[in-house]
Amino acid sequence: MTLFIQQLFNGFALGGVYCLAAIGLTLVFGVLRIPNLAHGSLYMLGAYVTYFFLTTVGVPYVAAIGIAALVLFCLGILLERLVFRPLQNSPHTHHMIAAIGAMFFFQAVAQAIWGADFRRMETPISGSLHILGAEISAQRIVIIVTAVVVLALLTWFIKRSIHGQTIEATEQDRTGAALVGINPSMVAMLTLGLSALLVTIAAGLVAPINLLSPTMGDSLNLKVFAIIILGGLGSLPGAIVGSFVLAIAETMTSTYISSAVGEVIAFVVLVAVLAIKPTGLFSKAVQR
Amino acid sequence: MNSVPRRVGRPILATAVMGVLALTATACGSSGGSDSGDAESVVIGYTGPLSGGGAAYGENVKVGLEMAVDDLNKDGLEVDGKKVTIELKSLDDKYAPSTAASNAQRLADQDKAPVVVSPNAGAIKAIQQINNGRSKFMISAYTSDPAIVQSDNPLTMMIPPNFESYAKPFTEQAMKHGGKKLALMGTQSEYGQQWTKSITDAWKKADGEIGSDNSIDYATVSDFAGPVSKALAEKPDSIFVGGPSQPTALIMEEARKQGFKGSFLVMDQAKLDEMGTVTKLKNLTNAVGVLPVKEYEDPGTQDFLKKFAEKTSKDKVATSETALNYQSMAIIAKAIELAGTTSDPEKIRAAIPDALSKVDDKYKVNGFPTEISDQGHLKNPELEATYLNDDEKFEKFPVEQVSDSK
Repeated sequence: MTLFIQQLFNGFALGGVYCLAAIGLTLVFGVLRIPNLAHGSLYMLGAYVTYFFLTTVGVPYVAAIGIAALVLFCLGILLERLVFRPLQNSPHTHHMIAAIGAMFFFQAVAQAIWGADFRRMETPISGSLHILGAEISAQRIVIIVTAVVVLALLTWFIKRSIHGQTIEATEQDRTGAALVGINPSMVAMLTLGLSALLVTIAAGLVAPINLLSPTMGDSLNLKVFAIIILGGLGSLPGAIVGSFVLAIAETMTSTYISSAVGEVIAFVVLVAVLAIKPTGLFSKAVQR
Repeated sequence: MNSVPRRVGRPILATAVMGVLALTATACGSSGGSDSGDAESVVIGYTGPLSGGGAAYGENVKVGLEMAVDDLNKDGLEVDGKKVTIELKSLDDKYAPSTAASNAQRLADQDKAPVVVSPNAGAIKAIQQINNGRSKFMISAYTSDPAIVQSDNPLTMMIPPNFESYAKPFTEQAMKHGGKKLALMGTQSEYGQQWTKSITDAWKKADGEIGSDNSIDYATVSDFAGPVSKALAEKPDSIFVGGPSQPTALIMEEARKQGFKGSFLVMDQAKLDEMGTVTKLKNLTNAVGVLPVKEYEDPGTQDFLKKFAEKTSKDKVATSETALNYQSMAIIAKAIELAGTTSDPEKIRAAIPDALSKVDDKYKVNGFPTEISDQGHLKNPELEATYLNDDEKFEKFPVEQVSDSK
């Protein structure tokens, strides 16, 4: 039972990380209609930029994540302006090729600046809590709490603020949104910036319990794609539910069956969903 | 009407500029060539992972080769009465055997490299298909998988010790400091699984008990707490861990954090001192592993470490990947000198047994080999490994080497 509770919390923490990463990806898909294959490398860059501000510059942990998130927000905007905008009217394959190009570019940049070696990010958050006999490290509690807070803020932003509402409007109907005076290219930049910001928070939170390397985004990339397909492309609730379902499925199968199965489970679930409900759990009519 | 000639003019101008540039470039090239006309050079090829997940490993090997080439050129190499400079040419294979083979082919054909270095068993096996046919070149093979010498390739030189030698002494040490029950938490790479099997066999032979297999993929698991909790739930006395140093260190730290008191068996891919860069050495004590480079007492070790620190960033630890390739490059250079040729790999390979005793002491840094087996395996009969004790000291113990044959 202790093991179960322990792993349940580990699953929630992992789910929080997946969630922050997946929401950005699903937003980008909703607004720009492109699968941003460079998302995992934005996550990697977010982790390195946080590391830079924390270790090299020496600002406090939370501030380092904040600054890194802003840096990546700008990078996201640049990515939209310089890479995706010029391809606006070209076939979809071009976006994917460009995204893969951006991914390799970011990896090469990270390797050139920080080297290929693994790096460790120290966190000021130490110690652990005892919950029902299980020992949960404080960092994991912080991940879970931050994820919930950030999700609440994001929901408020999209539903209540004027800029957030333009994102939702563009997602629902690009032409309609443009007709009522929303500038779709501003929304596109905002969305990519936001997705990079969210994934940086995820990276900053998870980096202390993992290691930094230029390829750290690769496995996350695959999993968040599985998550947003599982949840329904472009759907926010789908991404949230998908993240936690997948993370808990992953930790539980690793615990009670084997780690190898745990790594595969994301894709087993994905295949099952595609077979039974190809539009995902929370499908939206995004085929326009 | 003006714009038409301008449009035509642009490409012409561009061509002219390019032409001038090209001419200058060739002029520079030819003048550079005549400058070094009396000094010949020989290319030593290197194909390894320089980008992607294996990049850190590939770079470590490359640093060792570069350091050796710098030192050897400073010493000056004379082949058949002529001064020869060594040139290292590195190509990225991203850990893919097929790319490694085409890189090796290119290095041998275009650059006339008599020797190609490769640090990955799969790649070496692929290169062995092509190094003794139409084009001939020697493989300087950095892998501890004995399969590459079992293939009887006449132009292969295997550098590190056979990993199978470690299983028995590691088991003895781990049992002595832990107990009879072992948990398996090695990485899921092909090499990791070979180690897992080798340790499993040795552990069973020593009447030990093996828990369920908790091997995990060190590269994709993002949180080690879960797998560690699972392994510890079986209450093991010893844990087998190993993959790249840094994730291995995180797993050991997590196990200690969760209250594990027993011993660790650490696969040779992970280096205890390098692991100390990401966690406190205290978390790594009571562990059996390969001996860190800095613990070797070869004549050149201290100077090598000094040079390494100058060349790389200060927090980087010199590992055997760097040190063993450093000294094997010196062996290759000496063999080229003794063979009196830069182009005949067979003669170079044949000169290696003689070269071993003639290499300058300063290149002996990490258990310098004294013999080479008929199949091409460099061997140091006094191989040692280490037990990191509770006082954070590296105790040495001897490792008896097993035969390379199946």
